[in-house]
Amino acid sequence: MADRATIARPYARAAFAHAQASKDFASWSSLLGAAAIAAEDSRVARLIGNPHVTGDELVELLGGLSEQAAGEGGKNFLRALAENRRLSLLPEIAKQFEKLRADVEGVVDVEVIAAREIAAPQQKRLEAALAKRLGRDVRLHTRFDETLIGGAIVRAGDLVIDGSLKGRLERLETALKN
Amino acid sequence: MSIKASEITDLIQARIKNFDAATEARNVGTVVSVTDGICRVHGLADVAYGEMVEFPGNTFGLALNLEQDSVGCVVLGDYMHISEGATVKTTGRILEVPVGPEMLGRVVDALGTPLDGKGPIKASKTSPIERVAPGVIWRKSVSQPVQTGLKAIDSMVPIGRGQRELIIGDRQTGKTAVAIDAIINQKGTGVKCIYVAIGQKQSSIANVVRKLEEHGAMAHTIIVTASASMPAAMQFIAPYSGCAMGEYFMDNGEDALIVYDDLTKQAWAYRQISLLLKRPPGREAYPGDVFYLHSRLLERSARVSAEYVEKISGGKIKGKTGSLTGLPIIETQAGDVTAFVPTNVISITDGQIFLETDLFNAGIRPAMNAGISVSRVGGAAQTGIIKKLGGGIRLALAQYRELAAFSQFASDLDEVTRRSLERGQRVTELMKQKQYSPMSVAEQALSIYSVNNGYMDKVDKNKIVAFEEALQAYAKTSHADFLKQVNEKPELSKEVEAGYKKICEDFLATGAY
Repeated sequence: MADRATIARPYARAAFAHAQASKDFASWSSLLGAAAIAAEDSRVARLIGNPHVTGDELVELLGGLSEQAAGEGGKNFLRALAENRRLSLLPEIAKQFEKLRADVEGVVDVEVIAAREIAAPQQKRLEAALAKRLGRDVRLHTRFDETLIGGAIVRAGDLVIDGSLKGRLERLETALKN
Repeated sequence: MSIKASEITDLIQARIKNFDAATEARNVGTVVSVTDGICRVHGLADVAYGEMVEFPGNTFGLALNLEQDSVGCVVLGDYMHISEGATVKTTGRILEVPVGPEMLGRVVDALGTPLDGKGPIKASKTSPIERVAPGVIWRKSVSQPVQTGLKAIDSMVPIGRGQRELIIGDRQTGKTAVAIDAIINQKGTGVKCIYVAIGQKQSSIANVVRKLEEHGAMAHTIIVTASASMPAAMQFIAPYSGCAMGEYFMDNGEDALIVYDDLTKQAWAYRQISLLLKRPPGREAYPGDVFYLHSRLLERSARVSAEYVEKISGGKIKGKTGSLTGLPIIETQAGDVTAFVPTNVISITDGQIFLETDLFNAGIRPAMNAGISVSRVGGAAQTGIIKKLGGGIRLALAQYRELAAFSQFASDLDEVTRRSLERGQRVTELMKQKQYSPMSVAEQALSIYSVNNGYMDKVDKNKIVAFEEALQAYAKTSHADFLKQVNEKPELSKEVEAGYKKICEDFLATGAY
């Protein structure tokens, strides 16, 4: 995982620099997103590893997936990946690309896992509070998990704010054990 | 011992009451791989170098490698339950161990957890295991002695409070014995002792504990163990933990003595960790920072000024200096002191005591080689009486060594040479001392005085040990007050000299040897 991230980094940076120069984040995002999903599919993964399938065929296959093609640049990018046999890294590249994009646009993806449904006004307040804490705009993704019993867990990148009842009980358990 | 149910309920209630249930915000990561006690973790963007990280199952680790996409952690303890994908949390804390007088008399592991089955330790204070040594301004020069109770060491390589004196030698040369004797001799002196056992057999550690208990030395001693069966990470941190416990006494204006037994094994443990963390190997496959590993540890042994103690204690303790004397032990392979770790530690410490297999097998125990053993700062701290009397010992042994080799070829020797040889042989015999029988300053002075002034010249050299024993026994029974007086004021005045002379002459007159 760590090695994959290291190998994927220059590709993601190159794609990002190109997208930034041509001010075309949307189509690059869509291309990489679609290609990443495809590359993760087991059938496509088998094709990527198949020596009988040429690089050009793969580029045609993956490049044609996105409706908003990133033009010749996008094709060339996939070609470079195919030549270096790094197409399998597409999911990692897409992830890093999105992170770089979010950094530039001042947005952060925040996942909120709550025990119960969060009402709209509550969500607004949560968004505002998180925007203040993280210092940037927040894109909220909510999910429900009844096993939390109560409260919620907020996850923004590596930072995890655990305010769930389950987490607190777990901490109580370790405190009692020691 | 029966456990009352109410006690437990109360305990749990108190814990629940004190439990801080605040929402926690923590940096998390995911375990990517687990190999031989090393975890590679993805994420943990905000982790600090040397920070404690928490694995599932109340297991902790140390973040030792911070790389672009991953963090290399060593697991402190069992790692079999950690699997790929497990969540790792930062704690925002540097590794700490409990410290304080409550630790005395206990056997603990490298994290300060008791291992002796005597119940939990109610230490109120903790201290980080890695700390920067006191700076130059806060230090005082070494001026008070640490009496090891061994004639050979106290007379020829004296150790001062705050000094670092290396004990080096092959396996089975009595390195641990010297250190244990030094600990036993601190009974009643107020010097607190810490014995750090690294990579040793559990049976050896049990032996040491039993011997210390037998001699009533456990009351002023803390034993920190990271035995051979414990993970390398524990063996690596054990000396630092022990040092933190010793520093507590130093910071409180007391004197402490710490024995690291032995640093070779710690270097091995660190080498293992470093290689598994994929740090580049250097000489003898040790990592590049193996010198710093020991230098930063031994720098923490110091004698600090009263101002330092006052500053650290917040003005509560005034006018008392503190010290932490270090006795690191290094095991050499076939007497090779030019190996990497021995040379490093020799250069860091303020002197070394060389123990040799040949001497040990020849029955000279402690098997110290007086020629190459030195103490670079201890002379300033030596007790006056031993300093005055001990000068002759060193000289006699040096002359003896020179002549001994030469005299093997010569049959006819002149009177002076013959006397030098005889004296040297007697001094060598006299320096022998049984294990677990430390001697007081007055007793040591008596032995040395008697050989210096020729009272042993007429004794057969095979009977020197018996002669000394009888002399000591005689002095103890008939001149106990005098010995006590000398111990209280260990200076070689005219009266003291006359007193020793009288003891020796009276003893010779009785002819009881």
